[in-house]
Amino acid sequence: MIDRTIMSSTAAGYAIDLQNVTKIYHRRIHALQGVSMQVNRGEIFGLLGPNGAGKSTLVKIMVTVVRPTTARGMILGHSIGHKGTLARVGYLPENHRFPRYLTGRQVIEFFSALAKTDRSTRKKRAAELLDLVGMTAWADSKISQYSKGMLQRVGLAQALGANPDLIILDEPTDGVDPSGRRDIRQVLLHLREQGATVFINSHLLSELETVCDRVAILVGGKVARQGSVDELTAAKQCYQFELEPTPWPVIVAAFPGAFDFGAPPEPGFPTRGKLDENCWCEFDGLTLRVGHTDAAAVQPIIDALRRNNLVIRRMQLVRPSLEDLFFEAMTDPTTGQRALPGARPPPLPGAR
Amino acid sequence: MRQTLALIWDAYRDLNSRKMFWIVLILSTLVAASFAAIGFTPTGFKILFWQISSPLFNSKELRPGDFYKTVFLNYGIDFWLAWLATALALISTASLFPDFLATGAVDLYLSKPISRLRLFLTKYLCGLLFVALQIGCFCTASFAVIGFRGGAWEPGIFLAVPIVLLFFSYLFCFCVLVGVWTRSTVAAVLLALLFWVFTFGVHFTEETLLMFKLTEDSAATRLDGQIKSRKELLAHWEHVVTTQPTTRGSDYVTMYQSELKSDRAKRDDMHGTFDRYHAIFYDIMTVLPKTSETVDLLERVLVSKAGLEHVSRNAQNDSQDATDLNDNPVPIEKLHAEMNGRSVDWIVGTSVGFEGVVLALAAWIFCRRDY
Repeated sequence: MIDRTIMSSTAAGYAIDLQNVTKIYHRRIHALQGVSMQVNRGEIFGLLGPNGAGKSTLVKIMVTVVRPTTARGMILGHSIGHKGTLARVGYLPENHRFPRYLTGRQVIEFFSALAKTDRSTRKKRAAELLDLVGMTAWADSKISQYSKGMLQRVGLAQALGANPDLIILDEPTDGVDPSGRRDIRQVLLHLREQGATVFINSHLLSELETVCDRVAILVGGKVARQGSVDELTAAKQCYQFELEPTPWPVIVAAFPGAFDFGAPPEPGFPTRGKLDENCWCEFDGLTLRVGHTDAAAVQPIIDALRRNNLVIRRMQLVRPSLEDLFFEAMTDPTTGQRALPGARPPPLPGAR
Repeated sequence: MRQTLALIWDAYRDLNSRKMFWIVLILSTLVAASFAAIGFTPTGFKILFWQISSPLFNSKELRPGDFYKTVFLNYGIDFWLAWLATALALISTASLFPDFLATGAVDLYLSKPISRLRLFLTKYLCGLLFVALQIGCFCTASFAVIGFRGGAWEPGIFLAVPIVLLFFSYLFCFCVLVGVWTRSTVAAVLLALLFWVFTFGVHFTEETLLMFKLTEDSAATRLDGQIKSRKELLAHWEHVVTTQPTTRGSDYVTMYQSELKSDRAKRDDMHGTFDRYHAIFYDIMTVLPKTSETVDLLERVLVSKAGLEHVSRNAQNDSQDATDLNDNPVPIEKLHAEMNGRSVDWIVGTSVGFEGVVLALAAWIFCRRDY
């Protein structure tokens, strides 16, 4: 059920503005549980999440392939499900299957025609796009002769056929070699320069980290994190001190009160503590991490280490990767358990 | 319109890439060419270059035009187009929807600014295009053969295109429903063929029951007449015995009484059982598509248009005397009159109604489903 009420005027600035999108399959599988998400015009937005998190369902709802159970929101200023808007949206599905009897050029021209592009424009644009994705030499060969990487390139060109304002790509670098990935990355950056909005759903976190302005992490059908990569990682930045092997009591003595209630660390399970009200710390036997990003603030810590004759091998400001964020989002903070793949029914009320 | 044209052009390219399309087209051409291979001379007939003398099959005894038209009707339509070519066409087109609905393929279409219903109907019509092209080619070839070899130019032959297409559409809509529902080509082909056999079976049973019913009706009428005459004879001999009692007269009375009793018993056995069963099958057939009757429509039209009443199968069958196991005459003529008396509106209207319901169901599944 799509609520077609007019959104607030601020929605006009978003290419995608989703509010409370839910999808329940067969009355029991809660694939999406109230997803709200905003994508600004002209940015590259990445959607991450484990298998079964609901990423593809969300993407398919945006392009009307899947019908939402409830959804409020807009795409390019029109309600979700508005067919006319899709003429301005390019889409590359995951595991796409283009008609095998068509050539690469015919694929681009055919799907551009379905997006209501006139004949002369689509012919001209097909040639330009084939050149853009490096497929001009194979333009007139049948799709059946293409490798996976070539199919992805033509698929990307197909998504751009109607010169869309919004491009939605589901696993665009799937099966593409490193050189091809770099080429696709360049195309995405080029599209952003042209003012288009790109929405990418991918498992390749390093890919997304290099091109995305903002990301959202979807876990269990809910948005676990959303924001720019810098915003999301800022809170997790820390100074890291690599030390010579240090006995646990020495560290405890060096930072009185910080690790009072912690047990000695074990490999892979660091002991966490607090240096003061605003600064967390963590020690795993060799590495000490403190939650400061200000160099001046960590000078007393260096002093404390030196006072206790601890040898500092290396010290650096560490910013967590998207992968770290991803795993953190996937991990239940109370149980420490990682989310299992696949959507499932929500827990019963009162169940733990 | 641009989208519809793109879909139609794509359907053509799809058909063009399917080997089966060309195989059926080549077979159709071969069937038409085999008609052309037969020629008539005043002394006999020729197959390609071989002359065969025959006192019956020669241009003096047989009008070549009639021969080609009859062959076209009895083999070209009834055997080739209505059976083999249709089965091959079903096999070729059955994968149209399952392939279209495969994950990763349908997404590309549904994400375009075209409504699901329009997409579905355009794809459906594109499937029918396959058969229209096949029948069109076959009819054109047959038209040329009958014209050049038989000297009779019969444009009515082209009526086969819409009529056979209509007949195919009854089966194709069912094939599409199964294809949309299961997304399996194998299931679509098998169930469509099974459905075809089922409709044929219902038609055959209904026609057989109608024949039994008419035979029973005819026997009952005959028996009624017999009972009436026996009653008159019995009354006559009873009167004779009353006025002039003789042994011979008493024997006649006894004989007629016995025969009358036997006839009445036979008549009482005729409870109209076939009538009841026929009514049930007729009702079933009313809601089902009438595949055989639709193809027979073409024969009805062509026979009258081409002046082939004397060589039509019905005319041949009507002239034959037939009896059932009890030696009751089977009213073949009546049966054909009854079958031919069924209106085009009933045959086509109810069949198209069925097609509409099946298509609506398939379209509803297609439009409501998440892919």
